[in-house]
Amino acid sequence: MKLSGSVILSAAPEKVWAGINDPVLLAKCLPGCERLDPDGPDRFKVAVSFGLAAISGKYAGSLELAERKPPHSMLLKMEGKGIPGFVKGQGRVELHAKGKQTELHYEGEAQVGGMIAAVGQRMIEAASKKIVAQFFEKFSAELSKKA
Amino acid sequence: MATAPAKKYIGMPLKRKEDPRLIQGLAHYADDIALPGMLHAAFVRSPYAHAKVRSIDTSKAKAAPGVVAVLTAADLGTSIGMVPCAAVIPDMKSAARPVLAKDRVRFVGEAVAVVVAEDRYGARDVADLVEVDYEALTPVVDPEKAIAKGAQTLYDQHKDNVAFRWELEGGDVKKAFAQADKIVKQRMINQRLIPMAMEPRGVVAEYKAGEKSLTVWSSTQIPHLLRTQVAAMLGVPEHSVRVITPEVGGGFGSKLNVYPEEALLGYLAMHTGRPVKWIESRRENFQTAIHGRDQIDEVELAFKRDGTLLGMRCRIIADLGAYYQLLTPLIPTLTGLMICGLYKIPAARVEITGVLTNKMSTDAYRGAGRPEATYIIERAMDVAAGELKMDPLELRRKNLPSPKEFPYATPTGLIYDSANYQGAIDLLMKKVDYKKLRAEQAKLRKEGRYLGIGISTYVEICAMGPSSAMPAGGWESATVRIEPTGKVNVLTGASPHGQGQETSFSQLAADMLGLDPEDILITHGDTQVVPYGIGTFGSRGTAVGGTAVYKALVKLREKLSLIAAHLAGAEPGEMIIEGRKIYSKKQPKKSVGFQDCVTAAYVAKSLPAGVEPGLDATVFYEPTNFTFPFGAHLCVVEIDAETGDVRLDKYFAVDDCGNVLNPLLVDGQVHGGIVQSVGQALLEEAVYDDQGQLITGELTDYAIPRAADIPWMTTDRTVTPSPVNPMGVKGVGEAGTIGATPCLANAVADALAPFGVKHVDMPFKREKIWRLMHEGKCAAPAASPSSRSKPKAKSAKRAKRAPAKPKSAKRRRAR
Amino acid sequence: MIPSSFDYHAPKTLEEALRLLERHGDEAKLLAGGHSLLPLMKLRLASPRFVIDIGRLRGMSYVREEDGMIAIGALTTHAEVMASELLAQKCPLLSETAGEIGDVQVRNRGTIGGSLAHADPAADYPAAILALDAEIVAATSGGTRTIAAREFFVDMLTTQLRHGEILTQVRVPIQRGRTGAAYKKLYQPASGFAIVGVAARLSLGANGKVESAAIGVTGLGVKAYRAEAAEKTLVGKKPGEKEIANAAKLAPRGIEPLGDLHASEDYRREMAIVFTRRALEAAAARASGKAK
Repeated sequence: MKLSGSVILSAAPEKVWAGINDPVLLAKCLPGCERLDPDGPDRFKVAVSFGLAAISGKYAGSLELAERKPPHSMLLKMEGKGIPGFVKGQGRVELHAKGKQTELHYEGEAQVGGMIAAVGQRMIEAASKKIVAQFFEKFSAELSKKA
Repeated sequence: MATAPAKKYIGMPLKRKEDPRLIQGLAHYADDIALPGMLHAAFVRSPYAHAKVRSIDTSKAKAAPGVVAVLTAADLGTSIGMVPCAAVIPDMKSAARPVLAKDRVRFVGEAVAVVVAEDRYGARDVADLVEVDYEALTPVVDPEKAIAKGAQTLYDQHKDNVAFRWELEGGDVKKAFAQADKIVKQRMINQRLIPMAMEPRGVVAEYKAGEKSLTVWSSTQIPHLLRTQVAAMLGVPEHSVRVITPEVGGGFGSKLNVYPEEALLGYLAMHTGRPVKWIESRRENFQTAIHGRDQIDEVELAFKRDGTLLGMRCRIIADLGAYYQLLTPLIPTLTGLMICGLYKIPAARVEITGVLTNKMSTDAYRGAGRPEATYIIERAMDVAAGELKMDPLELRRKNLPSPKEFPYATPTGLIYDSANYQGAIDLLMKKVDYKKLRAEQAKLRKEGRYLGIGISTYVEICAMGPSSAMPAGGWESATVRIEPTGKVNVLTGASPHGQGQETSFSQLAADMLGLDPEDILITHGDTQVVPYGIGTFGSRGTAVGGTAVYKALVKLREKLSLIAAHLAGAEPGEMIIEGRKIYSKKQPKKSVGFQDCVTAAYVAKSLPAGVEPGLDATVFYEPTNFTFPFGAHLCVVEIDAETGDVRLDKYFAVDDCGNVLNPLLVDGQVHGGIVQSVGQALLEEAVYDDQGQLITGELTDYAIPRAADIPWMTTDRTVTPSPVNPMGVKGVGEAGTIGATPCLANAVADALAPFGVKHVDMPFKREKIWRLMHEGKCAAPAASPSSRSKPKAKSAKRAKRAPAKPKSAKRRRAR
Repeated sequence: MIPSSFDYHAPKTLEEALRLLERHGDEAKLLAGGHSLLPLMKLRLASPRFVIDIGRLRGMSYVREEDGMIAIGALTTHAEVMASELLAQKCPLLSETAGEIGDVQVRNRGTIGGSLAHADPAADYPAAILALDAEIVAATSGGTRTIAAREFFVDMLTTQLRHGEILTQVRVPIQRGRTGAAYKKLYQPASGFAIVGVAARLSLGANGKVESAAIGVTGLGVKAYRAEAAEKTLVGKKPGEKEIANAAKLAPRGIEPLGDLHASEDYRREMAIVFTRRALEAAAARASGKAK
């Protein structure tokens, strides 16, 4: 499954960069995030509970911020597993200054396994897009608050 | 001795004796078994196609309430042997399956731990508490990539994923191709299928420590073989193991196997001292019961200008999955043996590469290698007809052996027993106005409607089989016992699970003994009751199992004739057994009632000299050859050009399975087989994505045919008795899936001919067909999860401009 | 079915059901016919702590005429909607759509309220509900409110229903005058859900021109929607072959299609056009009295 897109954030790249690197802010914006604890440099332990109407599942795993080139790009690596299956993916995030704003471009690929792969196929991509959209909506709002 | 029996019931379309109990819910399946103190097992299965197992933490699971045992491979140690594989191919690499994966998992669904709890819900809950730490490895999914240089290997001890290479050649193939005027080539895929028995697998095991006896109830097609193997896997004496098959709700080959769960449940019963039950979920059935087909075939046919076949070459890549189940490596070799179909091909060469991939094992699924062979030759013949500009029927007729040429030897080393292929085609043509159909097709094409007419002819290999050709014996046993009150028990080593032999064997016994089918009880599937048998598969139930019953009945008829002649003062050789009487043909007044004769045998006061008391005969029948049923099918499909939807409109089948015991059962087998072919041709495909996830993992995504998909089927028969067995029967259990699949594929290709399509791979899903009809109007192919399920651009050659343009189709931007 | 453990409640009255729902909040799921929830529970994709079985509530399964509309109780099964004489006469689009849902077993158990509340992106009813401008009645302990169909579907598996609300009734208008409607669907061959399903309703004036058009499309995007561009272009025109074909081309406009192994995004979009055309043609033929 591939996910890509871009969002315009009303903050300078440096601010956006700081935001992405702020675990408290990330935890706040990640839908269903129950825990995001540092686990070594640029690495976090994550627990999330994703839900879509009746469908729900808890996942525990890790988030790693790699290949960091502040304030331009990084590689987000994540891995999680839960009873419905596992998710593993990575995505490149790039920040481009657009006047006072920042265009954040993301492009990533995720693999899913287990029950969600076997039966969730029809909706999994749309659900993922929704989660990403929710994240950026919140993230954008939080950045604006800070600005 | 006795004269030939009258045919009163044999050949009658008697309704099945089995059905009242099945229809009324009175039958007992594995899940109906409830034993005092019974525990329930649930399996922890890998969500990864390929991974190292770093560690398994069972502590939480063990602490959960209601848990009796949680076991991993480490706990088992060497207590249970590997899953057996009966097939041996020279230089075959090892790929034996452990009952629980130890340090590596090789397909999604492979069990890594088993949980035993007081109830089924609890067992399932606790399975989720077992924490397995996996380290993902690169999954090997595509069999062609799997054998490319540098591919990730499934087994560290093997340098590559080639399980074996197998070659077969007969005749001078080089010369045939050198002399050819025309060589026709085609690549085709026979996609992976899920057998989908209505009842999933199920096992119950009970151990009686005092008697040291283990009873295993399993929904299987091979109770005796299972007993031998489970005893060996558990290291217990075979005579202390009893296997019972309860009612079996379909198998289609998926229960012709020895599975880890069957041995494990036995072990768990011994380990816990309590009965244990496991019922497979549908999802487990998808992932862990054997799959069928899965070949990539490249075929070449060499022709003379006039359409005479000179030779054939075929290269087969068979995707075996991750491990060998009972017959895994053997199945593609059956394709090799039958590759020539029913044509006179003087020279043929087959090369098979068996490939290990991170998927469930393939094995025998209804037809087991023969549907693939028939598909290859029958599709290739249609492609050839197109290239030779001949009518497909005409090309076929040109290359058939005549009935006088039988027994007919193929270049692959088989001896076809008997046939009249022309007769089957002639009868089919009486049922169908072929010229009129072609005229209608031409007319409708002008209106933008796309009819396809498909023809297939087939020969298949049945009655498996002579023991020389079978890994574990190819005979069958039967015991017939006439009880003191004249009621008859027939014990068969066959293990019918839907075939209806409780009915047909009753008909046979009734006629042979001058009784009625109600007087006969057929018993099967209990190793403690029935003498050792081989089981039901390979269309052998009637031709081998039935022949054993027949031979046991012949023995009893001889004994009855001796006793009756003695009582009536007649000659034993002239006795007629019918209508509950045994009488002299020459002097009918010399007659004894059947019951009087039976009573005499048991009270044993007036038996002829040298005749033992009792009426009991056991036979182990060894066939001298396979049998080779055949047939000719024709169907008509129509494709909706706007959607790509393929609708099956008409189906005509002429099959020849030799003599018929019960035409209703034969029709049922033919109907069911055709429907299963509709499944393969139009709907079914087990799709693994590039990570080895089975994404058609439930019936919401894996489409099987339903009643509404099937039109009225016109069936008929020719009868060419087999010389192989005394009843002249051949077998019909798999004929439908063998003959019908290429028929449907040929019809679809025929419908698409105006679009320049030469071949399209199954299944004929709408979007794939729609794209072929609208090439260029919709740019990118579907974002298909597996490269195998993409529209086959390579194999489909299309006209530059499709003749019909539905109004709605227009160019779309690639996404 | 071997789901995770849950507490089961079978309230006898709507009030009791609402109280239970309020008490258990989002840990509770409502069970009606069970044909959306139970498959998810069986696969353990859904593991609610509390299941409130409203399938036994009395007086919630009916089809009746009320205030110039047809009111359908939320617990009315698809089979009942399909077989309703009243609907066949006064709102045939709904019964036609019900007849296209799933298979016999699904239709015998599944309910209209359950299907709408679940809001599967490929369910059949939403297309008809939208094309009919139906009203959906939801109850809380504080009273009821009516939600217009066009407001009801929010996103994939998401509706306007709030926690604590129970869908109690669906109201559809009585078909009047020269109106014709039809539901056309391309089945997903395994599940029977719609790859695309299109419900079209056309009303013609005395001059034979389209006075109003309503087109509900399901299966294409994350939620069912009204194909407004296609509707607009038809109004004021005679619904001829060309006009209908042109309108149908607008049906997928603005929608990002879903794709899966049964139908890619592109194919789904094309099928939305084909089936919109087919539904419009059938609706037009019915409106003009040329077909039943």
